[in-house]
Amino acid sequence: MNKKRKFDYTGVLSSVFAILIGLIVGFIILLICNPKQSAPGFFTILTGAFTHGAKGVGQVFYYSTPIILTGLSVGFAFKTGLFNIGASGQFIVGGFGAVYVGIMCENLGSIHWLAALLAGVLFGAIWGLVPGLLKAFFNVNEVIASIMMNYIGMYGVNWFVKSYKPMFNNIRNESKPVLQTANIPKMGLDKLFPDSSINGGFIIAVLVVILIYLVLDKTAFGYELKAVGYNRDASRYAGINEKKGIVFSMMIAGAISGLAGACLYLAGTGKHIEIVDTLADEGFTGISVALLGLCHPIGILFAGIFIAYLTAGGFYLQLFEFSTEIIDIIVAIIIYFSAFALMVKMLIAKVEKNKGDKKSGLKEPGDAAASKAVSDKKGGIKA
Amino acid sequence: MDYVIEMLHITKEFPGIIANDDITLCVKPGEIHALLGENGAGKSTLMSVLFGLYQPEKGKIKVKGKEVSIKGPLDANALGIGMVHQHFKLVHNFTVLQNIVLGMETTKGGMIQMADARKKVVELSEKYNLFVDPDAFISDITVGMQQRVEILKMLYRDNDILIFDEPTAVLTPQEIDELMQIMRDLVAEGKSILFITHKLNEIKAVADRCTVLRRGKYIGTVEVKDTDKEAMSEMMVGRKVNLTVEKSEAKPGEVVLEVKDLCVKSVREGHSQNVVDHVSFKVRKGEIVCIAGIDGNGQTELVHAITGLGGMSQGQILLNGEDMTKKSIRYKNTHGMSHIPEDRHKHGLVLDYNLAYNLVLQQYFEPKFSKFGFLKKDKINEYADLLIEKYDIRSGQGKDTITRSMSGGNQQKAIVAREIMKNPDILLAVQPTRGLDVGAIEYIHKQLVAQRDSGSAILLVSLELDEVMNLSDRILVIYEGAIVADLNPKEVTVQELGLYMAGSKGSKSAGKEEADHE
Amino acid sequence: MSVVYFIFQQTMFFAIPLLIVALGGMFSERSGVVNIALEGIMTMGAFTSILFLNLTGKNMSGQGQLLIAIVIAMATGVVFSLFHAYAAINMKADQTISGTALNMFAPAFAIFVARIIQGVQQVQFSNTFRIESVPVLGSIPVVGDLFFKNTYITTYIGIGILILSAVVLYKTKFGLRLRACGEHPQAADAAGVNVYRMQYAGVMISGALGGLGGLVFVVPTSTNFNATVSGYGFLALAVLIFGQWKPGRILGASLFFGLTKAVAAAYSGIPFLNNMGIPSYLYKMIPYIATLIVLIFTSKNSQAPRASGVPYDKGAR
Repeated sequence: MNKKRKFDYTGVLSSVFAILIGLIVGFIILLICNPKQSAPGFFTILTGAFTHGAKGVGQVFYYSTPIILTGLSVGFAFKTGLFNIGASGQFIVGGFGAVYVGIMCENLGSIHWLAALLAGVLFGAIWGLVPGLLKAFFNVNEVIASIMMNYIGMYGVNWFVKSYKPMFNNIRNESKPVLQTANIPKMGLDKLFPDSSINGGFIIAVLVVILIYLVLDKTAFGYELKAVGYNRDASRYAGINEKKGIVFSMMIAGAISGLAGACLYLAGTGKHIEIVDTLADEGFTGISVALLGLCHPIGILFAGIFIAYLTAGGFYLQLFEFSTEIIDIIVAIIIYFSAFALMVKMLIAKVEKNKGDKKSGLKEPGDAAASKAVSDKKGGIKA
Repeated sequence: MDYVIEMLHITKEFPGIIANDDITLCVKPGEIHALLGENGAGKSTLMSVLFGLYQPEKGKIKVKGKEVSIKGPLDANALGIGMVHQHFKLVHNFTVLQNIVLGMETTKGGMIQMADARKKVVELSEKYNLFVDPDAFISDITVGMQQRVEILKMLYRDNDILIFDEPTAVLTPQEIDELMQIMRDLVAEGKSILFITHKLNEIKAVADRCTVLRRGKYIGTVEVKDTDKEAMSEMMVGRKVNLTVEKSEAKPGEVVLEVKDLCVKSVREGHSQNVVDHVSFKVRKGEIVCIAGIDGNGQTELVHAITGLGGMSQGQILLNGEDMTKKSIRYKNTHGMSHIPEDRHKHGLVLDYNLAYNLVLQQYFEPKFSKFGFLKKDKINEYADLLIEKYDIRSGQGKDTITRSMSGGNQQKAIVAREIMKNPDILLAVQPTRGLDVGAIEYIHKQLVAQRDSGSAILLVSLELDEVMNLSDRILVIYEGAIVADLNPKEVTVQELGLYMAGSKGSKSAGKEEADHE
Repeated sequence: MSVVYFIFQQTMFFAIPLLIVALGGMFSERSGVVNIALEGIMTMGAFTSILFLNLTGKNMSGQGQLLIAIVIAMATGVVFSLFHAYAAINMKADQTISGTALNMFAPAFAIFVARIIQGVQQVQFSNTFRIESVPVLGSIPVVGDLFFKNTYITTYIGIGILILSAVVLYKTKFGLRLRACGEHPQAADAAGVNVYRMQYAGVMISGALGGLGGLVFVVPTSTNFNATVSGYGFLALAVLIFGQWKPGRILGASLFFGLTKAVAAAYSGIPFLNNMGIPSYLYKMIPYIATLIVLIFTSKNSQAPRASGVPYDKGAR
């Protein structure tokens, strides 16, 4: 059997296992809180997304767009050995860049939205670049640096929007809407999903997913990035500039998160940068998406849609006197159990082993070392 | 009481491997009992069973005649069994005393009391000639000293069955002699010793009886004085082995690698010190030059300076006459330098990449393997198959095997294959056979000689004296970062070499003179 | 002079929770488990204990009530941290992932439960815990003004925890063993130390202190709890790194961040700073920018426990 395929299969299984446990625990919580409402409530979580047919599905794709991208940002960095907890800051700074261009640059015509989008990418990249540089050249832990950048970005954006008249809508305490030309075109998706908020952003997200997949899997650059992620010392030995790898990796991760921000605020759905002192949720949801998607671009695409689907279902939960936070609880539990992936994989491996060759006896001594090695493989990040 | 330890018919399985298959080991009181076997023969597993780290599937253990169940190191300790591990189990930023008392602390009102412990440690170190400074930090003392700390740890716990796991690997011949004496003293004081090793000389020198394991199976137990080395060796390997390397006279050609006045400075706690100290030497085409020395005398830093993995504070490196001092690692990689690194897991392999990817680790970007930035996977796979075939690299799924799951010997073979296939002008081989079994060692030695004969220059760094003596055409001895001797292996004995390595012979200027040899 | 006292008192309000939580993190990391879940643990600890204050507000008040709340906060933290311990130690899970999951869970849980119990997510409480002036001590000149006026009992608890932590870590059997586990668990294991148990202890202590830190953070600075501790758990991680995993330096680091935070929160009440006309957002950003700058200078020679973040596997040698 092809080794690679086998790996994916156990990976997916462990994600499914995590999702099942998350849903079961969620149901139990509903049951404890309100036994009568629990069954219809839970049913709503699963089906709420389809309440309005195609429109509902379109909404799911619309919700999923930014979190697929932040998830991709986190997942991409993870593949290269870095934990980008800073997607939130990159997201808002990128969103700010897009909104700025969206409001201020008037005469760009049909490429206005593209320019705004690129501004988002650029701003996000800069925000990711900082922790990358600090990590590469000063050995600053990227987790802490990214967290600091989240707050700096959030306060900085609030400060700028609030103090800059042309951008600030002081009645609603948020940014003004972008110009019509800056909104991402629908790209025909409005025909497919009538009345929904879906727009070309979703297509862009899918394209970026494919792009990142190609870069990671098919290019020499991806080879280098992954090598740096797996083993910095061996990468150095191989002549790879590992500092460059770290800087690029964080910069690209930042760019993707920035794009996520741009896609949200250029969606033309009435989303504006609100002046509140809280970090953007999309960045943290991105972590869940990435983990659930096993940090694989295609997995992230599905994970993003799945979480958007749960969230959509969650909206309708209020009909049953449950608060929507139950969805966050379920997702948190899913993530918690997806951390057990290693054990699940080993369990699966054990079952397969028992089915298979018991007689083979003394094999390569390395095999025993392998199962051990998997467990000391350090996916973790030192804080 | 006939035996202090009886391990009877022990069987321990891991998924896919039987590490111990019906093994019996009995140690008499007051003897030094050797446990002989190659890497992977099951010695360590057997000891882990004795220490309760693993529970055996079958078999029983008796200590001093009583059947016991050992659940962990504490139980073993309570039975008087102590062990000096091959990789010392010492906390680097603890003092000697703290390491000794760890797990056996005396407390008063909840606070640790060190006074009694200190007194006992000082007494023990005087009784057994094991002097160490109790307040020194582990990171500041030599490996030999660290071993003494490990021995003191056992004595502090009043252990009377002492296990030494490959204790000589990191020592100089002189330190080894000292250790042998310490072991004899310990036995004279009524302790029993189990001595794990794969070195026959040491068994001959000190052991009374010897139990041999091979590939997880019990082969037999012999009286050492009645058995010769060849017989024991055959028991260990399962066939006759010829550990001397067949090689013809070297025909050194022009200079390939020249190192001039190289220094590496290390700054530690404010003290600056040259860990590589004005080293100069040349390596010519068609010769194997060996840097011999005790671990930690600057070999790693020297090699890292040459390859570019580490820095240097002064000096020059020339490759085929071209100044490489400031060149990048990639430049060196692609201009005739190959490097079999000391630590195959840290530097040599990206363990989570498959074998094929690892075999092109320094070449993936070359036109041969990529185009417009895209990898040519078919070409990479083709190349991998070629190397796997040619160098007999064995693994579960061929080129698709994740290297982490491969055995150490095959991982090392992969590295050797990769580095040799680059057909280098200079090959730096750092401890290329560390931790491998005899078959793999033989194989790698042959490859190195073949590479030499095909015209490469080889710089070998080794801690194994046998390897140094067998393989090299010229020996440079490194001591405290300086080259202290330039020797011809045919004209020097192991004992003499040991004296140079320990710094009691030779002068620090030897390396500099060498530069003027021409 | 009164400005100095004011800033100092404000600094303490911010520094003490950071100190307590960072010390908690220290115990966890020194045992070899990275605890990125401190934020979530703080949230949970604050939630249950503030909920207690809310529910008993009609019948109880003063230091007695606060002390019970402290016990509840710590107990909550311990229970919640056990999830992290189980994942990290038994399941050998990626410690970052499990910590992240806990961080996500806590605020969602707090809001969900608060809504069920009282309909809204904010949990109100009346602050009856401020000590105007400690009897006798408060009237000492200077020192009394600095340390014994306008203060909370939690400040002294925090300082007590600091001293206790230093003693436990460096002078006791437990501390020696804990440190050994974080540096070289195989050595500790070989010496007969139960590594898993020590790691559980480390994580549970971080849970207790994290939970307590949550309460201590909310009480002096607010009159309600809104399911967030505003990133203080993460800031505590930065303090831990800045403090190089050592109690004394952690104190210094917390005071530093406490001061920047205090200035950001209270600058408008300080005529000198208010007159400078610096925008409020800059003050809000300063603690984070300062952290980054400080980390640049302290990260090169990190003294992180060597085994921290690496799941300990008995079998692997």
